[in-house]
Amino acid sequence: MSSTPVTGKGSARQGGARAGRPHAAWVLPGVLFFTFFAVAPMALAVYLSFTKWNGLGDPQPVGLDNWRRLLSDDRLIQSLTITVLLTVVSWAFQTVVSLLLGVWAAGRQRNRAILSAIFFVPFLLSSTAIALLFYALLDPNFGIIRQDTLGSTKGAFLAIVFVGGWQFIPFHTLIYQGGARQIPEVLYQAAAIDGAGRYRQFFSITLPQLRNTATTSSVLMIVGSLTYFETVLILTQGGPGTDTAILPYLMYEAGFKSYDFGYASAIATFLVVAATALSLLLVRLTGFGSMRSTREGM
Amino acid sequence: MSHDTLPRPVKAAEPDRPAAPARRRRHWTRRANPLAGLGSLIWLAIVIIPIYAMISASLTSQDQALGHNALKPPTHPTLDNYNTVLHNGFGHFLWNTVLVAAAVVALVLVLCVPLAYVAVRTRTFWSGAAFRLFLLGIAIPAQAVVVPLYLMIAKLNLYDSLLAVILPTAAFAMPVSVLILTGTLRDISEELYEAMALDGASPTRMLFQLVIPMTKGGISTVVVYSALQAWNGFLFPLIFTQSDGPRVLTLGLFNYVSQFGVNIPALLASVVLSGIPIFAVYLVARRSLVGGLMGVGGK
Amino acid sequence: METYSRRWFLGAAGATTLASAVGLTACGSSGGSGSSGTLTAFVYGDDAVKVQVKSVNRFNASAAAKKAGGKIKLEKVPGADYPAKLRTAMGSPNAPDIFFNWGGGSIKAYKDAGQLLDLTDILTSDSALKDGFLPSVISAGGLSGHNYGVPMRGMQPVILFYNKTLFAEHKLTAPTTWDQLLDINAKLKKAKITPFALGGKDIWPELMWLEYLTDRIGGPAVFDKIKNGDTSGWGDPAVLKAAQTVKQLIDDGAFGKGFSSVAYTNGGAPAVFAKGKAAMHLMGSWEYSTQLGKFPDFAKKDLGWCAFPTVEGGAGDIRNVVGNPTNYWSVNAHTGNKDAAIAFLRDSASKTYASELVANGDIPTTSNAEALLDKSPNPEFAKFQYQMVQQAPSFTLSWDQAVDPDVSTPMLTEINKLFVGQSTPEQFVSAVKGLK
Repeated sequence: MSSTPVTGKGSARQGGARAGRPHAAWVLPGVLFFTFFAVAPMALAVYLSFTKWNGLGDPQPVGLDNWRRLLSDDRLIQSLTITVLLTVVSWAFQTVVSLLLGVWAAGRQRNRAILSAIFFVPFLLSSTAIALLFYALLDPNFGIIRQDTLGSTKGAFLAIVFVGGWQFIPFHTLIYQGGARQIPEVLYQAAAIDGAGRYRQFFSITLPQLRNTATTSSVLMIVGSLTYFETVLILTQGGPGTDTAILPYLMYEAGFKSYDFGYASAIATFLVVAATALSLLLVRLTGFGSMRSTREGM
Repeated sequence: MSHDTLPRPVKAAEPDRPAAPARRRRHWTRRANPLAGLGSLIWLAIVIIPIYAMISASLTSQDQALGHNALKPPTHPTLDNYNTVLHNGFGHFLWNTVLVAAAVVALVLVLCVPLAYVAVRTRTFWSGAAFRLFLLGIAIPAQAVVVPLYLMIAKLNLYDSLLAVILPTAAFAMPVSVLILTGTLRDISEELYEAMALDGASPTRMLFQLVIPMTKGGISTVVVYSALQAWNGFLFPLIFTQSDGPRVLTLGLFNYVSQFGVNIPALLASVVLSGIPIFAVYLVARRSLVGGLMGVGGK
Repeated sequence: METYSRRWFLGAAGATTLASAVGLTACGSSGGSGSSGTLTAFVYGDDAVKVQVKSVNRFNASAAAKKAGGKIKLEKVPGADYPAKLRTAMGSPNAPDIFFNWGGGSIKAYKDAGQLLDLTDILTSDSALKDGFLPSVISAGGLSGHNYGVPMRGMQPVILFYNKTLFAEHKLTAPTTWDQLLDINAKLKKAKITPFALGGKDIWPELMWLEYLTDRIGGPAVFDKIKNGDTSGWGDPAVLKAAQTVKQLIDDGAFGKGFSSVAYTNGGAPAVFAKGKAAMHLMGSWEYSTQLGKFPDFAKKDLGWCAFPTVEGGAGDIRNVVGNPTNYWSVNAHTGNKDAAIAFLRDSASKTYASELVANGDIPTTSNAEALLDKSPNPEFAKFQYQMVQQAPSFTLSWDQAVDPDVSTPMLTEINKLFVGQSTPEQFVSAVKGLK
């Protein structure tokens, strides 16, 4: 490594000597590693989606077979619908609860601090542990809630929404709590002078001021809801029937139950396209990207 | 944390710090709010009841649990279930998870800190391209690549080893970590670099004596975030490992379902046990854990 | 895959260096392709696994193991996950040397990939193996005239189990016709007892109902046609009638309300049955050893059994059996030590092994089995089961094992949809007709 400060070509563009500029090659280990374990597999998934492969031997090219089948598969539409529905309902549930709890927890009272610390506890358990906990509590014969919760479409769906919320609301509450604490005091003082009550203050100051926080939290929730896979696998296995088979589960089933890894890869590719489209859409709608990338300056 | 996240750059997080002196007058947040208080009590019940039922059932013998209402405290509490779990590889699985988490955190830090340093300080086409790669990488859900990763891991002769879990877990923790670190690094002022440059410091020395000390907040966020990824990781271990040797805790818990079956008390004891280590961390280092997490979300 | 090989090679080199540096390489199985010292054997990890554990210990201490220069390491793979774990391991360099399977469709992919050791010659030349087993059971596990498996568990016909004590309390006798069965259901429901336990979450217990009903209504020829690849066989009226009969049972509450969230593999359905919440349980013969392991008092005192009843006007014989002939050990063609693997398989033909199966409540498929049955924990059950299989005019292999996994997975999904009411019997039939 060079022992003198680097004053490379970047300096002219920046208009002035800037010190401490490491060589661009420093990114190589990280980039190569990430490329190898995340980007290359993605490319490989696209390739595999044009093959037939049962996990043994080598994949055999089959052209567009998997894609034709995927686009005419009723289960894809059903699965997409469930995934979207689960995302939207989870988002609404988690946002409302986290917003209210977060704003409340932003208060500095001792009791609020203590309760906040307790509220955080579910987030300490892993998703697997939480799914198991509710699997046990909901067992129809030996659990706590001895009803056929997971055997009905509505029950199973709501159970997944609830379990997801139970785990992640603590985290989002934390984000809203941080956001609420940054709202300038003067805004409330001014409103109080104008005679605005508590609830009007909430709607005319707190909510608008939390817009950016809400954006961050929502993006995290929406992208995160794709990861309810464990919950589905442990609680419902996509059932009853196929009613909770979200896209990742559909892919898992095609791959690791039918051993049709080519078809599973087509679903996976579709999932990535859908997730990217969703991210871009969110970025457009919320201005999330500009908030971030103006500062990246690239 | 199994969120694949898109956080904003982060400044130092400050959870629960006492109100600044200037705000010492009656802050709006100090007023009581009975309605909200009621709501919070309802949520408290939602949080507490499952946890209570879990602990109570885990202390009940299986025979009693079958006919017992778990909302009542156990009549003859027993630690047998914990004994069962501890005799079924729990310690070994926990140790594997600790190894995985430590290795993932180390890999992520070693790879991402220089990356973020370059992305912020050295603006060439290539460093920009590298940064964009990670921005895009956020959109790849880990589930989408298990099949090709399985193929690669099998060919690399890593199937059924801890490395098969560590390497992809670290890779998928990188995009968010890079974003968090670039956010923090940007807050280091130009003057500090210049001052060190006057002393003739190399970029390497600046990395260790300026960048790393000044980005402690971001680094601790990355540590918490990537450790949680490892702690929560389920799909990679499920597909890439098979035997007892490299089994991590999440997978161990999952396998207890077939092993303990409707021995609900033992199953719940395993869930309780899995929470204890991280609960201990929470008790000891609540502020930095919560602070780190606030960092993931941005402020 | 040529294009990727270079990158893989480079990656492999890098990763292996890293692995050895960090000391985190595979600590598990040694793999089918490599070393000869320890052979890995995958087995389905349920209550019956103790017989295999003893067999492995016995073999490892034996002179045969020393002579062949190999020991066996038993890998107990948790139940519900077994097929997927086997597949991913078999696709990797860490493949097991020996593995448990169901014969037939469950090993076809491995055979096609050249991963199975052809045991035909050994089974005809080796006296211990050749004379050890019932020839019909050996051939049932084969594929197109070749043998790839050595039987290693008991016979597994599906049997209608019932709770004798509950039946006596309510003055009921085991049904032999469908009408009798419906009559029993009505009486049990009046007494607030669920007629049948059913582990619907696993789906394959639901499949058993369709298998038997299809046989009793249309005879064994219906599924034979489907098994041989003729999907129009699903259009047989017997399949529709079987589906409609199932639907009536469900609507009638014969399985209770929560059956679709009860699993067999986690012990839920056996517990429901053993605790007297349900009075009958249609299940493979392994139910006996499961109950003996989990609820020994129930297994010894209350458990009764009978054949699946006939359906009025149906073509199927009450003696027809559905289920699995048994499970098999197969050997990986790339194993490093064939001699040790085969020497280990010989233990499954030994009298000691058969006696241990019997002691576990199983009926071995060895030729000497009948003589051992008196030593069974329940000789009456053992003899019933042995004769059931021996006298069966037809033995239909479980549907999900008889067809390829890429057909059986969607088939099971359709069956589950029928049971949870998401599709009507007519929709079920048209959906399975479309599977290929």
